[in-house]
Amino acid sequence: MKMKWYFFFVTILAVSVLLYGLFEFSDEKTPEIGVLMVGENRYQKFTGLKKGLEDLGFEDKKIHFTVKNAKDDQGRLKRQIKSLLKSEPDIIVTLGGIETIELKKEIDKTNKSIPVVFAGLAAPKELGLIEDYRNPGSLFTGINNYHTSISGKRLEMLKNLVPSIERVFVIYDSTIDTSRLSLEEIQDASGKLKVPVVPSDVSSKDFHSSLETKITKEDAILVMPGFRLESMTDEIAELAKRKRVPAMGIYEYEAEKGLLASYGASFYSQGYQASRFVSLILQGNEPATLPVELPDEMKFVINQETKETLKLTYNEDLLSIADVIHQEEADE
Amino acid sequence: MKTMIGILRSWLLTQPIRNKVLVFGVVMSSIPLILISLYYYSFVKSDLEERIIEKQSLILKNLSREIEVDFDQTWRLINERAGVNQLYDHTESNYYNLLHESGSIEEVVVTNEQGYVEKRVSRYELNLPGKEKWLPESMMLKLQTNDQAYGKVEFNPYGQPVIKLAVPFTENGRQKTLGVVLQLQKIIGKISSLRQDHSSYIYLVDSNERIIAHQDYSRLWRKQPNEKSDDVVGVKSKLDDLGWTLVMEQPESTAYAPIKQMVQNGMSAAVLVILVVSLISVSAGLYFTNPIVKIDQAMNLLKQGRGSTRISINRKDELGKLANSFNEMSNELVLKSRQLEQEKERLEVVVNGNGAGMALVTKDYKITWMNPVLRNWFKNDSLSLPCYALIGGESAPCEDCPIYDPNSKSLQDKRLKFKTNNDEDKTFRHRVFPLNHAIEGEGEFLVVVEDITEQQLVEEKMVQTDKLSALGIMASSFAHEVNNPLATINAYAEDLLDRIDVEDETMSEGETEHYLRVIQQNIERCKRITGNLLNFSRKQEWNAEVFDIQEIIDSSISLVDYQLKKNKIHLTLSIEENLPGIRGDGLKLMQVMVNLINNAVDAMEEEEERKLIISALKSKGGILLKVEDSGNGISPEIIPRLFDPFFTTKSAGKGTGLGLSVCYGIIQQFGGSIEVESKCEEGSVFKLFLPLSEGKGR
Repeated sequence: MKMKWYFFFVTILAVSVLLYGLFEFSDEKTPEIGVLMVGENRYQKFTGLKKGLEDLGFEDKKIHFTVKNAKDDQGRLKRQIKSLLKSEPDIIVTLGGIETIELKKEIDKTNKSIPVVFAGLAAPKELGLIEDYRNPGSLFTGINNYHTSISGKRLEMLKNLVPSIERVFVIYDSTIDTSRLSLEEIQDASGKLKVPVVPSDVSSKDFHSSLETKITKEDAILVMPGFRLESMTDEIAELAKRKRVPAMGIYEYEAEKGLLASYGASFYSQGYQASRFVSLILQGNEPATLPVELPDEMKFVINQETKETLKLTYNEDLLSIADVIHQEEADE
Repeated sequence: MKTMIGILRSWLLTQPIRNKVLVFGVVMSSIPLILISLYYYSFVKSDLEERIIEKQSLILKNLSREIEVDFDQTWRLINERAGVNQLYDHTESNYYNLLHESGSIEEVVVTNEQGYVEKRVSRYELNLPGKEKWLPESMMLKLQTNDQAYGKVEFNPYGQPVIKLAVPFTENGRQKTLGVVLQLQKIIGKISSLRQDHSSYIYLVDSNERIIAHQDYSRLWRKQPNEKSDDVVGVKSKLDDLGWTLVMEQPESTAYAPIKQMVQNGMSAAVLVILVVSLISVSAGLYFTNPIVKIDQAMNLLKQGRGSTRISINRKDELGKLANSFNEMSNELVLKSRQLEQEKERLEVVVNGNGAGMALVTKDYKITWMNPVLRNWFKNDSLSLPCYALIGGESAPCEDCPIYDPNSKSLQDKRLKFKTNNDEDKTFRHRVFPLNHAIEGEGEFLVVVEDITEQQLVEEKMVQTDKLSALGIMASSFAHEVNNPLATINAYAEDLLDRIDVEDETMSEGETEHYLRVIQQNIERCKRITGNLLNFSRKQEWNAEVFDIQEIIDSSISLVDYQLKKNKIHLTLSIEENLPGIRGDGLKLMQVMVNLINNAVDAMEEEEERKLIISALKSKGGILLKVEDSGNGISPEIIPRLFDPFFTTKSAGKGTGLGLSVCYGIIQQFGGSIEVESKCEEGSVFKLFLPLSEGKGR
């Protein structure tokens, strides 16, 4: 008889557990986002990413970031990638091309399947990261910052801004795919625009001496994408200033550092835009189905001081649409 | 449903009380909880739905407004640049300004009348006009009637969703169009990626019912399902100019999650309450039913005859009292059972050991039980016969049997004879008693059969002895009685012979005949006297027949006539006329009368006035015979022993002590009664009551 009572209570408990099981409640766990940046100068992207997520409704406490900053050391970057993969975050956000390419190599080796959002890189399709812009078809999606494709446009804008330019020295990095592809775009546009270009590879031994000797007054400098080039901005600005030639970079900070102009998507806006991908993936989308986006905005920036220092004749139409920055403000 | 309730009800009825108490507890605890929960569930659900829809409407309103503002701003910019009001010229810088002012515009073009690009300022591409037809026919048609036209949502070479916007303008008399390619990724991206709580999602449907923004990218660019899903809560907001529709939905599963949480919590509470109530119910059930179970077990033990079991319940409530009562009842019952067994044993000894056969008989004369004594008297194959056939050997029930006639209280001393199992002829006395407390069908009558063969022999010997004694007493009377007629015969015979010898011629034939008649009459008298004597002395069995009581009285008196005369006793006979015949043995009654007259003669031996009155008259249901003397009477102390065998007050050699005992036995056989009334020195009266129809027929 005692057994019957025992069974009665066990039955009540079992039925309760079964009924309880009918009501599934998914506990929202804090998403873990891994962030890879090759150097400090990409930090703006991270700032943009955080702000974007915040605007989309993700507060800081609802998301956790593991940030890996390689401090411009490629070897360190590789180690950090391994470490990050080991921790298996929900999503990895790469803040540039080199980070993405190295991450892909490592993912291919380890067969991990962590979604990756690249917060702006040039030519993802050409680099083999995605199959198609509309249907990436892989673990990778994000923002094509268009810095390769836009290279021709940049050449056009430089020429339009300073019509007196007769020849453009294109500084690129032959070791970086995007840099090399960008050069190809430049060379293609050069023919259409009838502006002669001189490629100048930072990886070559005579890079500095060649530039020093070849650049003349009617020349201009156009900087291609590439993380090594990003770290050489000060050097290039100093060269342009010394040679009194107009130089155009991609990012706003390049103009801030002394180049005459820059045209491209800003780090901040790329990071901000990447937050949409992070949100979509966190809400259940596969990266393979999320179309790669172009930058929401392209920024055309003029350094007022450099402009005045060069004392060239500028196209006022373009000057009127540029965001003018002042060296002093930038230095501050 | 009814069947289910019926099954549950039947199941519940078969359950022990403690299970019923448990079910009662669970039902009483869960039903209020369920009712309250249902009430709150319905109330909270509608309230929650209202709030969700309110919130969704607000979000959609804001988003719609944002989109509309974006487009309105773009239109404003385009219209301005189109030079509708001639504020702007169509220089490159003007278009660059457009790009500058709207970050979503990818390129600005001016097309000719055919829709081909004449001028282009692009954000990404070189500002080369190109050779493609930029303005699709649909837009051109719209522009013929409208001052602005939307294109379809399409994709640029980089897979970006874009839409073309165009306004017409006239330049140098030529109809041209200012068009822009507007990137939608920012709007779509924002709608898609906007984080929503609790699985809510927003999507945007274009005028062709195609989803152009959705959180779930797998649903992008597909037709929106026409039917709204039932399991979502959602609202729609229409963007009239664009013909787009913004939809926000939330699956009911997450929309009502708080309610589910509430239900879950409620269930936890309910389970807890049910468990606690069940525990209390079980305890209460056990508290209330344990004594009952104990009593039940003890009763079962008692029923199985395992003796009394004392229930130990340390309570003073009704159940405690019940247990005490049970203990007392159990002790009492055991005691009574022992007494009953003792009684039964005694009864068995008596029933089986008194030598009488006993049987229980139903109203249908069926024997349901018989004791071994009776069983031994009958053959086994006849035990199933009705009682009248088995015991009486009759083919029909006896009419005087109480089974046959319920008005008859009992059958007393009916004698019968039959051959026993051992082929012995035996005489039995047979009595039937109705049982007042018998269970119907188990034998409502007790039949007692006694073997009186020996007793009857003794009685017969007693009667015979009594007769011989009476004969002895009457011997001198007989001598005198016979002697007188013999002397008369002798005198008449001698006188007749003398006259014949002398040839007396005077003797006529008439005188001769007179002589012979006198002789004959006296011979007849002698013959009657001797016949009476012979009859009286004959040893015979009970011979039942209807006889005339007057005749028997006369015969009896003739036997003692000499004695009466000798003792100078004055006899008075008072016999009512036309007395009915009595069934029985007349000779036996004669023996009784002779005995009583002889006793009266003896009683009056010393009296001077000797009177004997014999009367017979009709009484209720029979005839009352009285023999009254004027003797010295009987002392009251010996009256109770008067009918005992061998009790006598007469001197030795004068009486055997059997007379009255035999009289008693004979009157019993008649079914009648005998009583005596006596007063010392005044005389005695013996009253015999003989029933008219109850004389035994055997």
